[in-house]
Amino acid sequence: MTVSDEQIPAASVPTGEGRAGTNGRGAALELRDVSKHFGSTVALAEANLSVRPGEFLTLLGPSGSGKTTMLRLIVGFEAPTSGQILLRGSDISHMSPAERDIGMVFQQYALFPHMTVADNIAYGLKIRRWPAAERKHKVEEMLELIRLPGFGDRYPRQLSGGQQQRVALARALAYDPALILMDEPLGALDRTLRLQMEEEIRRLHRKLNATVIYVTHDQQEALALSDRIAIMRDGRIVALGTPEELYYRPGNSFVASFFANANLLPVDGHERRAADTAWVHCAGQELEVPAVGGGGEPAVLSVRRRSLRLGPADGLRLDGTVEETLLFGDEREVVMDVEGIGRVVAVLDARDSGEVRVGEPITLYAPAADTLLVPEI
Amino acid sequence: MRLSPRTSDRITRIAGFVTVTLAAAFLLAPVLLTAVLSFSNDPYFGVPPDTWGFRQYETLFTDQTWRGALMLSLKIALPVGLLSAVIAVPAVFAIHRSRLPGRNVLHVGGLAGIIIPISAFAVAMYGVLADFGLLGTYAGLVLANTVLALPLMLVVTSAALSRIPVELELAAMVTGASRARAWFGITLRLLAPAMIGGFVLAVVTSFDEAVFINFIGGPGLTTLPKAILDSARLGVDPVIMAVATLLMVATSILMILALKFARSTDE
Repeated sequence: MTVSDEQIPAASVPTGEGRAGTNGRGAALELRDVSKHFGSTVALAEANLSVRPGEFLTLLGPSGSGKTTMLRLIVGFEAPTSGQILLRGSDISHMSPAERDIGMVFQQYALFPHMTVADNIAYGLKIRRWPAAERKHKVEEMLELIRLPGFGDRYPRQLSGGQQQRVALARALAYDPALILMDEPLGALDRTLRLQMEEEIRRLHRKLNATVIYVTHDQQEALALSDRIAIMRDGRIVALGTPEELYYRPGNSFVASFFANANLLPVDGHERRAADTAWVHCAGQELEVPAVGGGGEPAVLSVRRRSLRLGPADGLRLDGTVEETLLFGDEREVVMDVEGIGRVVAVLDARDSGEVRVGEPITLYAPAADTLLVPEI
Repeated sequence: MRLSPRTSDRITRIAGFVTVTLAAAFLLAPVLLTAVLSFSNDPYFGVPPDTWGFRQYETLFTDQTWRGALMLSLKIALPVGLLSAVIAVPAVFAIHRSRLPGRNVLHVGGLAGIIIPISAFAVAMYGVLADFGLLGTYAGLVLANTVLALPLMLVVTSAALSRIPVELELAAMVTGASRARAWFGITLRLLAPAMIGGFVLAVVTSFDEAVFINFIGGPGLTTLPKAILDSARLGVDPVIMAVATLLMVATSILMILALKFARSTDE
């Protein structure tokens, strides 16, 4: 793929609202009320999603949340029970996978073992009847791009896992599809390799300005790669936004705990003061805290692990007993038991937390501005 | 007396060497002996032969009885190989790639031919073929041998298909291949070595089959194993040595090829 100047610049700075795409230049991919039922099981319930051209969007959720179903519907391995899927404005809901102009990267690479690396990359081009000379040229270009020049004559089994996944990327990118889908592409790699591949995927995305939908259950991966993230649970999209929005202002308790690893503290009562602040009664204290949601529904106080600290701060004070501490180099994770609340996990600066001992009492503080009242779901 | 570890290790090593040598001799001696005796030029059986030459091979290829038996065996074995493939390949797709209810029963049932004692099988086959008027016919022999060879084809192709990830076919389809192209070009292509291996196994099984033929063969239907049995009944004809040697060589070559093909699927 040649990066020409005519191409639309990458949508690397998503709007704060995180739901553009229908305005301006139009969506690359749009899901309209897409549902998928397997018998009486609802795998995906009326999903609506709009992906901008050049955007890197991640579907994040625990297993069984519907993210893989959504991917299989987009690529055409399953047909939706109802709803429409539009790619560049045309309805592809019931097209065969071959007609959709999509590239896909699988978790287990899915390279054709009887073909060389070059033949694997050229597979889509051959089907599209590219002349041999152009195919050869394109393969060379792709091999350069994935930094495996000279590997064309090898067979997939002669490559390492990371190299195989790069070839799989090249195969999916070679014919310049309208959309690239990645189904947990780093799931089969070890930790070090995963970090390298994240880097590689980021670089390729920036360079090619491709529209990518990425499926993972790993929130670190989602944070590192995505322009926007759709968080899924029980067949529904429960949150959609930029990594920053979802991490610092999660819209509900599931996103707060699943995505930001936040502690969810029960509140004895809460009352809205303004559109985005509320009075809460929590751990025997009255506090004014930031709030999201309508205000009428049950809510919990979300406190991120890194918001808690040893030094006194104007805000929430938690008294408890240390249950466990784990040193992670610069940081120390402290698990404490707070009466009336339960388990609370904090991540402290390791240098300040030398005195923390299992079984001893501890007091931690969280600035009120660093907590968030979220609707409980 | 306690042996030093070094002495004890040496004894173990020598014992191992002797065991391996004996085992190899036990396996190879009959083969070598048969091969050597096939080059006897005597018109009778004797060890060691009085004269050496190619007389037995000449008889085998010129004598009408032996030639006819060889040709019939081939004429049965090749269709058996093809038929097994035609039946087994769709079956393994149904077993591994469909949501067909009872596909596991199909899988186990397909292997029954290996498990059931062959003489019991032959008696049952006699009854079935008699009902259909196929007793003592060429078609009957092909069918019976196919029933015998099918499980081998099933085992080999089923193992191979279970190692071919479904994702490969899906990947081909997303990349732009039609369902047919993905199936033939990827999945069936990757299954081909196992199919060839299974074909060879089926052919060899049918070629060596010496039990069924006694039940369901008939006049004018003398396969090579049957001809050997018949000749042995009248006294030991040294031509058998040539037949056996040729059979061993051909079978070994085919088996080596089959193994080679089957192994290439693993990669």
